[in-house]
Amino acid sequence: MTDDTTTPATAIPQTAPSGRAVAARLPNPARLLAAQIGYQIRQLLASGRTLAIGIGLPVILLIASKGKGSAPNVAGYAAFGLTITAWASYGVRLVAARESGLLKRWRASPLPRWCYFLGAILATTLTAVIAGGVAVGVAVLLWGTHFDAGPSIQLTGKGTAAILIVFALAALAWASAATAVTSLIPSVEAAFPTLTLIYFPLVIISGVLFSLNEPHWLSTLVTYLPAQPMIAAATNAVHHGPGVPFIPGRDAAVLAAWAVGGLLVAILVFRWEPHRPRGHAGTRPRPS
Amino acid sequence: MSAIVAEHVTKRFGGFEAVSDVSFEVPDGQFLAVLGPNGAGKTTTLEMLEGFSAPTSGTLQVLSADPHRGSRAWRARIGLVLQSTSLDPGLTVRDTLALFAGLYPDPRPVSEAIELADLSADAATKVGVLSGGQRRRVDLAIGIIGRPEVLFLDEPTTALDPEARRRTWAAVENLATTGTTIVLTTHYIDEADHLAQRILVLTDGRIATDTTPAQLRAQAGPATIRYVLEDPGTARALPARLARHLEPDGRTLFIRSTDTPGVLRELADFADRHRLGLAGLEVGPPSLEEAYLAVIDKQTRSGGAGHD
Repeated sequence: MTDDTTTPATAIPQTAPSGRAVAARLPNPARLLAAQIGYQIRQLLASGRTLAIGIGLPVILLIASKGKGSAPNVAGYAAFGLTITAWASYGVRLVAARESGLLKRWRASPLPRWCYFLGAILATTLTAVIAGGVAVGVAVLLWGTHFDAGPSIQLTGKGTAAILIVFALAALAWASAATAVTSLIPSVEAAFPTLTLIYFPLVIISGVLFSLNEPHWLSTLVTYLPAQPMIAAATNAVHHGPGVPFIPGRDAAVLAAWAVGGLLVAILVFRWEPHRPRGHAGTRPRPS
Repeated sequence: MSAIVAEHVTKRFGGFEAVSDVSFEVPDGQFLAVLGPNGAGKTTTLEMLEGFSAPTSGTLQVLSADPHRGSRAWRARIGLVLQSTSLDPGLTVRDTLALFAGLYPDPRPVSEAIELADLSADAATKVGVLSGGQRRRVDLAIGIIGRPEVLFLDEPTTALDPEARRRTWAAVENLATTGTTIVLTTHYIDEADHLAQRILVLTDGRIATDTTPAQLRAQAGPATIRYVLEDPGTARALPARLARHLEPDGRTLFIRSTDTPGVLRELADFADRHRLGLAGLEVGPPSLEEAYLAVIDKQTRSGGAGHD
């Protein structure tokens, strides 16, 4: 039971504000965005699954490959956790929210539209950065910073800052792209297969899980996709050589381009309303 | 002032005309019910009023603004209870309402919305474990949290059990007393009768009738006479003119006749002969449901498209 009184209200005060007065007193969008990010993070933490898969899978892979660690290896597993969180888990959640009518409920409210999806993207970015960060942290806990199999981790203060920036940029790129792609996915059932079908070939050819001998054109192509530049930049951050910038400009530029491009496409094609099943009583064909 | 003005509104989806040349006005503070069978264009009309889609032709004004171009400030002045939305199952009723309250310039206190929607006992319950009826009332509480001047209710009681429907009605009636303009769509004629001041019947995307519950009833024609025989055995002795109105249960007479006095005289004679007290005899106006069905029937026969 709650402390609310159960007697029905008999007299309800009524105010009839004019449109202009309402506009003047609308809540500040920055506050609304902060509230949305907080709400989205609470939802992510409450469901737990997003964090469990994004953090758990790379940790399992790290433990399974014990003793064979190297900086690119650790960066690859971190990228795996990060991308699975910011792409697959987030994309499925977004499609489920749309198809259940949750997005339409928000769309019906005076929340600015950009506030909703920017809130969702930023909350996902934060979660994905945590997933990537935990993978790096667990690697350091397991093996220290020196690896037999390859370049060791040399995490300095600047390197830590660099890897967080790279992770944030990469997570933003993947989450923005996922936001755009969800508009093409018609149902919750189709969400996981569609997102996975795009995701796995991409991370495998990008060398997230293991390095491949691939034709030249393919290895050039992957440098323009968001997985490989992230691993390259993250490897550089955890194993920083003298005379090299902490964040390689080209990799950062590719990730930023994906983030901006994904956001722009998402703004243009974002869908708020659920698809209605065909032939259902009372439904009508949607405008194309 | 009219809160809502629709002029010659038509909505087409491809070659299909869902709403055809519909015009109506809703004065400030009026409670309007939009009735009609599935596919009549109720939800399409409501979604245009709510700004989710634009009319193919014609003009719409809600609170003096084009809904499809409604600003944030405009959206803060209307409330919606939609058919096809849902809420986060993991949040409690109170947290859900607090989240939405934060979007409005002058929201109702969360506790007041909870009380108005009759949710006091469930305020700390997670939305995911509520019954369908309780969830509909959470939708209603969100719809009114911003103190809307116009409230749209799209079939708020569809699929609810009778008790849940009554509780939702009570919550809506509470609101109607505040001077809020309310537009309700429903399949249920008794809901429209109970709540609304005015009824708009849509069939095949057109306005079939625009009336009050009382006028609709008056259009329906003959009065009804209902009498349950105390002893079913007496049914055999009924005069033929009455006997043919016997219901399948063999004891209930249900008669619709333009000659009410004639039927009553005959029934009184029969009662005299068999020493019946006529306890429970009902003579009443035609039911609103019959009036509604008559309107729909007339409309479909006079050249409606008859889709769905």
